[in-house]
Amino acid sequence: MIPGAIVLEFPREFFGGLWLTIQISLFGLIGALALGTVIALFRVSPLVVLRWIGGAYVEFFRNTPLVVQLFFLFLGLPYMGFRFATDTFDSIFRAAITGMALYHAAYVAEIVRGGLLAVEKGQIEAARSLGLSYLGMLRYVQLPQTFRAVVPPLGNIAIALVKNTSLASTIGVAELLFAAEVVESRTFRAEEAFLAATIGFLLLTIPLGVVVNMLERRMRIAR
Amino acid sequence: MDITEFLRDHGLKPNTWPMFADPAIWRFFGEGLRETVLISLVSIALSFVVGLLFALGRLSTRWWLRWPSIAYIEAVRALPVLLLIVYFGIKGSSLFRPFFGAEFELPRFWAGVLGLSMYTSAVLAEIIRAGIVSLPRGQTEASRALGLSYPQSMRHVILPQALRMMVPAMMAQLTTIIKDTSLVGTIGVFELLRQGSTIYNQFFNPIEVLLIVSVVYFVICFTLSQFSRRLELGRAPREVRAKIQEVQLRDQAA
Repeated sequence: MIPGAIVLEFPREFFGGLWLTIQISLFGLIGALALGTVIALFRVSPLVVLRWIGGAYVEFFRNTPLVVQLFFLFLGLPYMGFRFATDTFDSIFRAAITGMALYHAAYVAEIVRGGLLAVEKGQIEAARSLGLSYLGMLRYVQLPQTFRAVVPPLGNIAIALVKNTSLASTIGVAELLFAAEVVESRTFRAEEAFLAATIGFLLLTIPLGVVVNMLERRMRIAR
Repeated sequence: MDITEFLRDHGLKPNTWPMFADPAIWRFFGEGLRETVLISLVSIALSFVVGLLFALGRLSTRWWLRWPSIAYIEAVRALPVLLLIVYFGIKGSSLFRPFFGAEFELPRFWAGVLGLSMYTSAVLAEIIRAGIVSLPRGQTEASRALGLSYPQSMRHVILPQALRMMVPAMMAQLTTIIKDTSLVGTIGVFELLRQGSTIYNQFFNPIEVLLIVSVVYFVICFTLSQFSRRLELGRAPREVRAKIQEVQLRDQAA
């Protein structure tokens, strides 16, 4: 029952899996942050159509399972003549990253929107009437508060995203959970294989959790 | 270009839609939906009981109750729910063989329930704990001063108040669990998505099937989330709302 042994027996599976998990998490997070910010701007836009599109996006992606979305990207899109890449590995890898980005962007959008609305209109008006330029107001009044309101919850999204990368195994990406399943099917040593994957995920999520809790404490807005 | 022309050129066969006029297909989806709903309800009930125990354990003054509870909650919350589901799918039977004999086979339904409940119990434990902690200290002190024992004051004074405050959060957690049931298809439970994949593996129409499946999930989850928003989460204290937000962002899985 020493997971170290099995990791050393199957280093390509486990370390390769861990590396894929990290890659999908990073690229997925970057995509989710970028897309989520755009959707958030849609949601606070003065145009009704954009607000409606933003709202529909958020509600659709939050209220359907991520696996269904991944299956759609993996199985549905090729039927419509779209492939992420000619190579199978690249294709499912990119489908997984796209799925992570699309799904978590809905949550990012809600957080960023909350952060933008966290600053009262009165403060902005007060800053302007005190003679701050629009950029000065952004720099010294609005953005610092938005940043404080947004960073800790985004950290929580990052943790959720790392855990959710395990769903990429359902479309055949050889990430950490997939590695455990492969090694288990070859050796029947389920305890060791899954303990190794467990430790891999804990190594990623626990430090992230500590950082997020620290940020939460430091960025709490005194009220 | 006409839309049907576009779809045909891109490989989608629009003529698979008529097959959905057959009631047999809908019965097939219906069986999956029943399994999805059933596994969600059983899992949330089990998670609530286990979660309550771990919440109380984490609040206990005895270190040998507190430390294992903290370890369980924090470790399980840090893991992907799919990992737990797959583990119980593979090893569930042999875990119970010492108790039920060498021939025992854990039904896949219950393997799925175990995986989902283990994860959700850790999440609910955190939600319940936040509710208990947020109550004014005076509530416990007053009930203890009136001569109630610790279990009595929990049972009759603290928990009824804390749990009532937690109802919207638990509704929200039910939404998450319903989405998460889509994962137990991977261990062979014939829930909604798995039934769908059986259909599209037969008829090669994943787009139509996945659209239908998404709509069903959406209708259920959207209705539930609107309902839980209605239940006035706003009345809960600020720390509780913060905890609920944290848990819902960090631990919302699939």
